Amino acid sequence: MIFSKLDAATYPFISLASRLVKELEESLGLNAILSPDSEVLRRSVERIREAVYSRATSVYKRDLEVEVLSHPVALILIKHMNNKRLVNVYAEAEKNRVLANLLKESQEKLATLAIDGFNWHVKREGDFLFVRFDDYLKTSVNMLDAYWKLVNRRLVKGYVELSRRDFSRLLAEAYRTRILEKVNQVEDVQVPSTLKSVIEELEREFQGVLPKVDVSATYVGEYVPSAFPACILKLLEEAEQGKNLSHMARFTLATFLLSIGKTPEELLDLFRKMPDFDESKTLYHLRHIAGEIGSRKKYTPPSCATLRTFGLCVANDELCQKVKHPLTYYSKKLKSLKRGELGKRAK
Amino acid sequence: MGKELNNEGFVKKMFKKYYAEWEGEPPKDFNRREFAFVISRKGEMIRHKAFEEWGEVREFLRKNSPLHVYYSSAYYAQPSASDMDAKEWMGADLIFDIDVDHIYTPCKERHDRWTCLDCNTSGRGMPPEACPKCSSKRVEVKTWFCEGCLEVAKEETTKLVEDFLIQDFNFSPREISIVFSGRRGFHVHVESDVVKELDQRARREIVDYVRGTGLVVQNGKRRVLAPPLNAGGWPGRLAKGVYELLNAGDIEGLLNLRRGSKVEEVLKAIVKGLEESRDYWPLEGLARKIWFKAVEKVIVRKRCEVDERVTTDIKRLIRMPGTLHGGTGLIAAKVHLKDLESFDPYVHAVAFVKGEIKVKVLNMPEITFLNQTWGPYNDEVVELPIGLAVYLICSENAIVVGEGDENA
Ligand code: SF4
Ligand SMILES: [Zn+2]
Ligand SMILES: [Zn+2]
Repeated sequence: MIFSKLDAATYPFISLASRLVKELEESLGLNAILSPDSEVLRRSVERIREAVYSRATSVYKRDLEVEVLSHPVALILIKHMNNKRLVNVYAEAEKNRVLANLLKESQEKLATLAIDGFNWHVKREGDFLFVRFDDYLKTSVNMLDAYWKLVNRRLVKGYVELSRRDFSRLLAEAYRTRILEKVNQVEDVQVPSTLKSVIEELEREFQGVLPKVDVSATYVGEYVPSAFPACILKLLEEAEQGKNLSHMARFTLATFLLSIGKTPEELLDLFRKMPDFDESKTLYHLRHIAGEIGSRKKYTPPSCATLRTFGLCVANDELCQKVKHPLTYYSKKLKSLKRGELGKRAK
Repeated sequence: MGKELNNEGFVKKMFKKYYAEWEGEPPKDFNRREFAFVISRKGEMIRHKAFEEWGEVREFLRKNSPLHVYYSSAYYAQPSASDMDAKEWMGADLIFDIDVDHIYTPCKERHDRWTCLDCNTSGRGMPPEACPKCSSKRVEVKTWFCEGCLEVAKEETTKLVEDFLIQDFNFSPREISIVFSGRRGFHVHVESDVVKELDQRARREIVDYVRGTGLVVQNGKRRVLAPPLNAGGWPGRLAKGVYELLNAGDIEGLLNLRRGSKVEEVLKAIVKGLEESRDYWPLEGLARKIWFKAVEKVIVRKRCEVDERVTTDIKRLIRMPGTLHGGTGLIAAKVHLKDLESFDPYVHAVAFVKGEIKVKVLNMPEITFLNQTWGPYNDEVVELPIGLAVYLICSENAIVVGEGDENA
C-alpha cells in the first residue's frame, strides 16, 4: 500500500509525512516557513486555535504541503508557549481528528498505518486486527478505563485481539502520546523575533481560556501507579471493578489523580463503570474539582487523618507511617523509585 | 579432629568447598548486569560489581564464598556505576516470584510459628500483619517448607509458565527459566527482546493479567455476556473454568445453591450454552447469578499468585541461579519444566551429599531429606547428613557441636 500526500497530511505520524517535512524544509528554508506572512505559519496558528476552541483539528485540503508543514510548526509554537495544559489540549484535539479519520479506513489501511507509523506487529484475521502485546501495552497503559486493561482483552499467542474500532482508538492514543513526547523533545529552535510576537499574542489570547496549571507541585504530570499509596490503589481497583464508591471515595480518587496531571476527560472513563454513572454530571463534577469551572478552586485530596476517619486508609507499609498526606506518599515513593533503592529489595 | 568451629565458620567452610569447583552458567549478557553479594551474616551487601569475563565471577566466588549472590534483572550501559541514573538502564528481564511466604497453605498451621518481639505473644500459621495483642509490627517468623508447600509452589509455577507465559504470551520455552528460590518457592526468568524494554506500568499490566487483578466480569446490570469456550485469554479461561466446574460433582454445594429442579435446569442450560456458543452469548436472571458465582470460584483457581512487587521492579536484584542460599545452604537450582513435577529441593537442590555430622538441633519438624526421614527433634544432639545439618545451621535451627567426618 502506497501512501498519498493526503495521507501524510491526515496522519502526521507516518514516515511519508516526516520525509515530506524534511524535503520541504530543505527546499523552502526554515526562515521562509516561519516568516510572518507565511501560509504555513497562518495555518499552524489556526490549527492550535481549532484545538483550543473546538477540541478537534481539521485537515486543510487546499494545500497539502502547507498542511503537512503546519503540524511540526504548531509543535514549535506550542513548545515556546511552554504551557503544559495547551500541549495536552493540542494533543487531545489531534487525537480526536485522527480517530475520526481512522474510523473510516479499511482494515488493511489501518494495519499499514500502524506498522509504518509505530512499528507495531500487526496481524489480520477475519473481522479482527491483532497487535503484539508489547506494542499494545506501550499505549494502553495510558488508557485508564478497565476496558483497556490487558486482563480484560483476548490475548492469543502473544497478540491482542481488537475490533477495527478499538484498533483505531489505540492507534489514535499512540499518536497522542507521540505528540507529548515530541514536544518534550523538540530542541530549542531559534525562532525569528517576528515569531515571538505571534507567540506572545497567542499566550495572551489563551490565558483566560486555558486554566492555569499548578506548576509548584513536583509530582504533576507523572502517572506511576506503582508509586501510589495503598489507599488510592484500592480505590482505583474498586472503581475499575465497577463497585459503587462512596462520595468521599470518589472525591479522594478524583482529586488525587487530577493532582498528578490527569485531565477530567481522562477520568471520565474511570467512573464510567459506576452503577449510577451520568456522563455530563460526572464531567461537570470533575471539572469543578479540577478548578476548570465554577469557583476555580483546585481541590486537593484529603489528608491521611481524614481518610482514616472515613475508613479509607489501608496503610500497609513503612512509608505510610511517615507521611500525613497521600500526595506526599506519592512524591516520596516516586523519588525513591527513581533513585532505585535496591539494597532492601533483593530477592 | 575435635577442633571447635562456630556456626558461621562452619558454614563458610562448606560454602568455600562448594564454590571451589563451581563452574556456573553465565546469565545472558552478564557483563551488562550489576552483581551484588552478601559475604558474611553481619556484613553489608556489596553492590555495583560488574564482570567482563565469566572467569572473574568464578574467581570472586572462590575467593569470597558469599552467603548470597545476586545479579540485576536489568541490563546497564555502566553496570558498575554506583549512582542508579549513571548506570543507564537498557532493559530488563521479566521476573516472577512465587513464594510460599505470600501464599496461604493449610499446612502452615502445622509448621509455621510467629512471635511478637515486643510482648512475646506467639501463634501458628501465617503471621499477622501486626501483633494482635500489642499491635507491634515486629513479628518474627519461623517457617518451614513442607511437601504441601512445595506442591502449592509447583502448581502456581506450572500455571504461570504453561497457561500464561507460553499459551497467552507466546514466549518460547527457551526464553523461560524456572529456578528454585533456595528457600520456599520459585523464580521464573523470562529473557526476551519482546519484554526487555517494557516499563513499570507495562509490567504491572502483565502482573495484573497473571494475577487476574482488575478482571471485569460484571458487564451489564440485567444480563451478562458470557464468553465462548474458544475465546482467547481470560474470557476463554473463564468459560472453560466454568464449564469444568459445572461438570464436576456437587456443584450446588460448591456454589452454595439450593438444590432444586429450577437450578438443575439452569445449570444444564449454561453447560449447553457453553458447548454450542461460538460467540458471546447472553445470560439473565438465575443463570446470570450462577454464572457470577461460578466465575468468582474460577478466577481464584486459574489465577496465579506471583508477588507483584518483584515483577514491576525493573531494577531488581535477583538470586543468581546455581549459587547457594545463605539462609538454607540449598542451591538455587534451575529446573526444567518437564522435571518440575518430580523436583524435590531436599534431593535436587542439596549441595552437600556426602558425610554426617553431629549437631545440636534446637527445633525441627519431621523432614524427608535425601529420601530419608528425620526428626522431629527438639533441643537434642543428633548425627545428621551434612546437607541437612548445613540447612539447619543456616536457618538457625541448630548449632555446631563438633567436627564431623564430612570428608568420608
Ligand atoms: S497512611 Fe495515608 S497514604 Fe497511607 S494508606 Fe493511609 S491514607 Fe493512604
Ligand atoms: Zn505483641
Ligand atoms: Zn507446608
